[in-house]
Amino acid sequence: MYDIIIIGGGPAAVAVGVYAARKKMKTAFVADQIGGQSIVSDGIENWIGEINIAGPILAKKLKDHIENYKDEIEMRFPARADKIEKNEDGTFSVFIGEEKLKTKTIVVCTGGRHRKLGVLGEEKFNGRGVVYCATCDAPFFKEKDVVVVGGGNSGLEAVVDLLKYADKIYLIARNGKLRGDSVTQEEIIDNEKVEIIYHSEVQEVLGDKMVEGVKIKNLDGDEKLIDVQGVFVEIGSVPNSEIVGELVDLDEWGNIKIDFKNQATSCEGVFAAGDVTDTIFRQNNIAVGDGIKALLSAYDFMKKN
Amino acid sequence: MAEVIIYSTPTCGFCTLAKDFFNEKGIEFKEIDVSVDQEEAQKMVEKTGQMGVPVIIINKDGKEEVIVGFDQAQLMTILGIE
Repeated sequence: MYDIIIIGGGPAAVAVGVYAARKKMKTAFVADQIGGQSIVSDGIENWIGEINIAGPILAKKLKDHIENYKDEIEMRFPARADKIEKNEDGTFSVFIGEEKLKTKTIVVCTGGRHRKLGVLGEEKFNGRGVVYCATCDAPFFKEKDVVVVGGGNSGLEAVVDLLKYADKIYLIARNGKLRGDSVTQEEIIDNEKVEIIYHSEVQEVLGDKMVEGVKIKNLDGDEKLIDVQGVFVEIGSVPNSEIVGELVDLDEWGNIKIDFKNQATSCEGVFAAGDVTDTIFRQNNIAVGDGIKALLSAYDFMKKN
Repeated sequence: MAEVIIYSTPTCGFCTLAKDFFNEKGIEFKEIDVSVDQEEAQKMVEKTGQMGVPVIIINKDGKEEVIVGFDQAQLMTILGIE
């Protein structure tokens, strides 16, 4: 019987793990990857204590930190938790495949994943012109025309990544203005390679073997075809909350509802932290702080029960 | 011994993680940076149908596996390492 099982491998999960080890809780750390969503970031300039750190370096530091406690906590990495069940005695069973781990408490730190467009052609052309990691794959689009979907920060950053390579970049924004940082907006708005199309959404990704175009539609219902070889999707994230979907209350977007004071979910003994929760702000530093709150709450819960 | 090739770009975080993993496990690999080598990039796209990195190709026991993305558990299974 474990005191605590931590599910996930981002900054929140690592913070929980480090604190759990130091509290000498009997811990299992179940993650298929360590580092979180910032792995793909070229440079992070707001991770406190580092002026600029590349995503993979931050991931490595997080991994080193948690693995420093590998004698104290059980590292189940790489492994994926498939299912969680609540037992009659108030404990929980976490399944990794057929294997069952029993625990008194759980902290869910499973983060978020890229939101997809959900339109025809998107799946078919995934990796064949449809891109979810602009920093990774922009070099493939040298002298090509592309669309970037999404007027938030990640959309604007994708445009910046592509400026070095693509000939023409159409930025499709659903609203009448861009939402991303004004510093980044200034960088792209007057660039002749960039054309911003407001009040529009992608309806379909078109092509034969590779992407050849997109169909977009504006507020008035007017449809238009644009010839492009790449579609960069940057429309936010969705929470990885499926594993506890039947155990805890979720909000309408699938985020785990938490008590902001102590990170408790609607299910006693289950806590959550980071981007999988209904936190207002999705930030590495906040995920870490919330993870620590979750751990301290789980520790109190364990002592009382 | 398995022959491992990784197609990468310098700004690809998952490529870096994959290379770290190979180094950690003492697995030799050949890296092809498709951001500088357009010819290889084109070859990779034709061979795999993929316009994204990382793509990892493992030749082991006369069998070729093409892996898109970085999945440590999957690599460990294919390479037969703990």
